Amino acid sequence: MASVLIVDDASFMRMMIKDILTKNDFDIAGEAANGQEAVDLFNETQPDLVTMDITMPEKDGIAALKEILQQHPGAKVIMCSAMGQQSMVIDAIQAGAKDFIVKPFQADRVMDAVQKVMG
Amino acid sequence: MAVETADGYVKVIVFQLKDEEYAIEVNDVQSIEKMQTVTRIPGVEPYIIGVMNLRGIITPVLDLRKRFGLESRDYDEATRILVLKRDNSDIGFIVDGANDVMDIAASNIEPTPEVVGGVAEEYLRGVVKLEDRLFTLLHIDKILNKPEEKQRSGM
Amino acid sequence: MMGQSEYLEVFIDESQEHLQTLNDHLMQLEKAPEDISIVGEIFRSAHTLKGMGATMGFEDLAHLTHNLENVLDLIRHEQMSVTSHVMDVVFESVDDLEEMITDIAGGGDGSRDVNETVQKLEALQNKDQEKAAASETAAAAVDSPQKPMQEQTAVQESYDEYERTVLKQSYEQGYNPYKIEITLDEQTMLKAARVYMIFDVLEQVGDIIKSTPPADDLEDENFEFSFVITVISSVEQEELKQRVLKVSEITNVSVEVVNVEEPVPEAESTSPSNAEEPAESAPAKKDEQKESAKSDKSEKHSGGSKKGSELNKTIRVNIDRLDVLMNLFEELVIDRGRLEQISSELNNNELSETVERMSRISGDLQEIILNMRMMPVDQVFNRFPRMVRSLSKELGKNVNLEISGAETELDRTIIDEIGDPLVHLIRNSIDHGIEQPDVREAAGKPAQGNVHLSAYHSGNNVFIEIEDDGNGIDKEKVIKKSLENGVVNEEDLEKMNDQQIFGLMFASGFSTAQEITDISGRGVGLDVVRNTFETLGGNITVNSVYGEGSLFSVQLPLTLSIIDVMLVEIGKEKYGVPLTAIVETAIVNKNEVYSAHAQKVIDFRGNVIPLVFLNEIFEVPDRESAKGNEYYSLVIVSKGDKIAGLVVDSLIGQHDVVLKSLGSYLSNVFAISGATILGDGQVALILDSNALIK
Repeated sequence: MASVLIVDDASFMRMMIKDILTKNDFDIAGEAANGQEAVDLFNETQPDLVTMDITMPEKDGIAALKEILQQHPGAKVIMCSAMGQQSMVIDAIQAGAKDFIVKPFQADRVMDAVQKVMG
Repeated sequence: MAVETADGYVKVIVFQLKDEEYAIEVNDVQSIEKMQTVTRIPGVEPYIIGVMNLRGIITPVLDLRKRFGLESRDYDEATRILVLKRDNSDIGFIVDGANDVMDIAASNIEPTPEVVGGVAEEYLRGVVKLEDRLFTLLHIDKILNKPEEKQRSGM
Repeated sequence: MMGQSEYLEVFIDESQEHLQTLNDHLMQLEKAPEDISIVGEIFRSAHTLKGMGATMGFEDLAHLTHNLENVLDLIRHEQMSVTSHVMDVVFESVDDLEEMITDIAGGGDGSRDVNETVQKLEALQNKDQEKAAASETAAAAVDSPQKPMQEQTAVQESYDEYERTVLKQSYEQGYNPYKIEITLDEQTMLKAARVYMIFDVLEQVGDIIKSTPPADDLEDENFEFSFVITVISSVEQEELKQRVLKVSEITNVSVEVVNVEEPVPEAESTSPSNAEEPAESAPAKKDEQKESAKSDKSEKHSGGSKKGSELNKTIRVNIDRLDVLMNLFEELVIDRGRLEQISSELNNNELSETVERMSRISGDLQEIILNMRMMPVDQVFNRFPRMVRSLSKELGKNVNLEISGAETELDRTIIDEIGDPLVHLIRNSIDHGIEQPDVREAAGKPAQGNVHLSAYHSGNNVFIEIEDDGNGIDKEKVIKKSLENGVVNEEDLEKMNDQQIFGLMFASGFSTAQEITDISGRGVGLDVVRNTFETLGGNITVNSVYGEGSLFSVQLPLTLSIIDVMLVEIGKEKYGVPLTAIVETAIVNKNEVYSAHAQKVIDFRGNVIPLVFLNEIFEVPDRESAKGNEYYSLVIVSKGDKIAGLVVDSLIGQHDVVLKSLGSYLSNVFAISGATILGDGQVALILDSNALIK
C-alpha cells in the first residue's frame, strides 16, 4: 500500500484529499499545513507520494517541492492548485512535480493523477 | 402529544397520590428512584423541597402532594421519586408510590371532570377508565409552571 | 460532488477563521493602505475560501470570493489603489460572506443574492481595466486564435517545405517523425499547464518540431481541447503514446508516423543551422513562462512571509468532547473528595499516601483540562473593530477603537456568553458616549473619539473594561430617571455614592422602551447586560466623569466550573462560600456585637461591619445546637469596597468543589449561585455573597 503525505494549509482540503485517498486504499503518511512542515515530514516519513498545495503560509508549495526534490530526487509530488495559478503550476512542473490537480477536487481526477504518478 | 403505539395505545406509568391513582406517559419519565436525601433550598415555593444528587446531576425535587395542595404525610418505603425528562434539566416528583406500567387504549381516555381527588383541573389531561380502575393523566408542563411564571410568560 | 456532511463542520470552522483573518487584515490594510504585503494575506484567505466554497458546492460563495479575489489581485499587483470606496466594497463582500457562512452554519444552503456586491466588485475591476485598456487590447489582438480547429478523424497536419526538410533529415539520421494528436478532458481547468506537461514529456524523448495550434496559442489556451504535436524521437510509437498518457486529464492520444516522402519535397535548400530553430521555440517560450511564474511567485512569497500567520501544531477537538471530558473530570473530583474523606477516617498510611498522590495528580489534570478550555478573549474582541467602523459611519462619528489584552484567556463557557453584552456596552459607548466631531471640537476635545477596550487578568478574575472619552454620564439625569421609574427611592438615594448612582442604570426598569435607540438598545436594557455577567459569576460597575468619559468595568471569573469554597455549617445544612469573595474568617464573642440603625454590627479591625445572619435569611430549621454558643463564627466577605460578616454555626474548611447549576427550573434562587456535590454524595449549596451585601 502506497503512502501519501498530504500538504495543504486548509485542514478542510486535507480532509477531502485524505478521504479520497483512504477510500482508495492509500496510507496517509502524514499531513502538513505549510511548506516547512512538508519538508520536515517528508524527511521523517519518506512517503511514496506527496500532494502539495501551492499557496501556503511560511513556505509555499513550490519552495517545499524544490527543497524536497533537492534532497530526494525521486520524490513524487503532485501539486494542488487553484484556477488562476497556471504559471505557478508550470513552474512546479518545471521544478519536477509529477502532476497537478485543480481545486475543487474531484475524486476521480485526484485518483487519476495519483495512479498515473504511482503507475 | 400523546405518543401512541401502533394500535392506538399509550404507555403510562401509574402512581399513587393520597387515595387516587395518576398516570404520566412513560416517554416523559427518565427514571423512578427510591426516596433519598434532598438538600433544602431556601426561599423557594414550599412544594419545591430541594435538590438531590442524581448520579452527579443536581436535580430539583418537587413534592407532588404539596404541589396539588393535598395534605402532607411522611415519606416511607413506598415513596418514589419520578424523574421527568425536561429539555435542559431533569426534575423529580415525589409520589406516594409507583404502581405499574401499562398500555392504555386511547379510546379509554376521557375528558377531565372538573376536579379529581382535589387536584385542580388545569393540571389534568384526561381520565382513564378501565374495568376496575380509574386514574388521571397529568399535564406535566402545567405542573412545572410556577405561578409567577405565568405572569412572566408574556415577556 | 462527494458526500459532504462530514466536511461541513470543518468547512464552517475554517471558513470562520478565514473570515476573521480577512477582517483583521482588512482593518490593518485600511490603516496602512500602502502596505501591499497585507494584501497578500487577504488574498490568500479569499483564495482558500473560494476553493473551499467551490468544493462544497456553495456557488454564491465561490462566485463572490472569485470576484473579490480578482479585485484583491489587482491591489496586490499595484494596479488598483486602496481607496475608502474600495475598502467599503471589499468589506461589504466580507459581510456577505459572513452572512453566507452563518447561514450554512445554521443549516442553510448558503445561497444569497450576491449580484449587487459582485457588480460593485466588477465595477472596480472594470474601472481599473479601462486604464490598461489600450495595451491589453493590443496584446489580445496578437494572441487571438488564428486557425479554426481541425476535424479529427485521423491526425491531420500539414508541413511547409522547411518543416518537411527537418523531418526528412531526422528520419535519415535514424529518428522517427511522429505526429501526435492529443485531446484533453473537457473539464481540464489549467489547459496550458497540461500542454506544458505534455511538451515536457515529449522533450524527454525527442524534439518537438511543430505544434498546431502553435505553442503561443497553446500557452494562451487559445484552443478547445485538441492539438497536434509533431515530434522526432528515437522511441517506438507505442512507448511515446504511453508516455503521453502518463499525463492526467488526457482523454485521447493518437500517434502516427509522418510519411516524410509523401508530398514531394522541392529542394534541400535550407541550411542545417536553421533546422535547430523551430525545435527550440517551445523551450524558449517555456523559459519566459518560467520567468513570469518566478516573479509571480517571489512577489507572493514576500507578501506571505512578511507577516506570516503563526501556525502552531494543534488539533481540532469538538467542543462537546471537551465538555464531556470536563463532566467526567468533575465526577472524578467528587470521588476524590470521597476518597480523601475515607482515607482520613481509616488513618492508613499507605492509603493516605496513595490518595494524596492521586489528589496531586488530579490537581494537575484539572489544571490541564481547565487550560484546554481557555480561549483568548480575542475570539470575542475580534469582531468589534468592524462593528465600530460601521457604527461610527452610520452615526457620523469619528471613533478609534483601541484594543489591548486580547490575548487574555477565559473559559470558553464564559467566552460564549460575553459577546452580546459587550457588543451592547460598546454600542452604548459610541452611541451615548462619544459626541459628534463638531461637538467634541467645541468642547476642546480631538474630533476623533477614543474607545479603549481592554482585558486583563487579576487573581482568579479577568477584568474587561470599556473606557471612552465621550460625554460621560449625567448623574442628575440618572437620578431623575431612577426616581421616575421607581428604581430607587429618595431615602436610599441619599446614602449612595456616585458609583452606586451610576450603577442604577443597570437596575431592571431603568431603561424604558421609548428611549432605547436603534443602536445600543436593540430592545434590551443594561439590566440584561448585568444579568448575563452575573449569571456567569461576574459583575459590572461603571464610573464616569461628566464631560470627560465613562468606564464600564466587567469582572469575570477565570473559569466557571471548579471553584475554591469555604464550607460552612448552619444548623444541619452545609453551604459553600466562594473563596474569591472571602476577606477572612473570624470567631467573635457575642458580646462584641452591638446594634446600629437596627442592624447588628461588629467592630472589625477598626471597621464597623454589618452582620448577616444566614440562619435567618435562609430560614434554617433545627438550630438548637448553636443557641448555647457564646461565639459567632464569621465569614467576612467583600463586594467591591463593601464588607459584611456572614454569621454561620461552624466553619468546616476549604474545599475545591465543582460548581453546578441548579438548572433552569431553579434559575433565580436568592443568594444561591449553584450547588456542588460533596465527597459524601450530598448536595451543598453555593452562596452568592454579592447578593447578601447591601
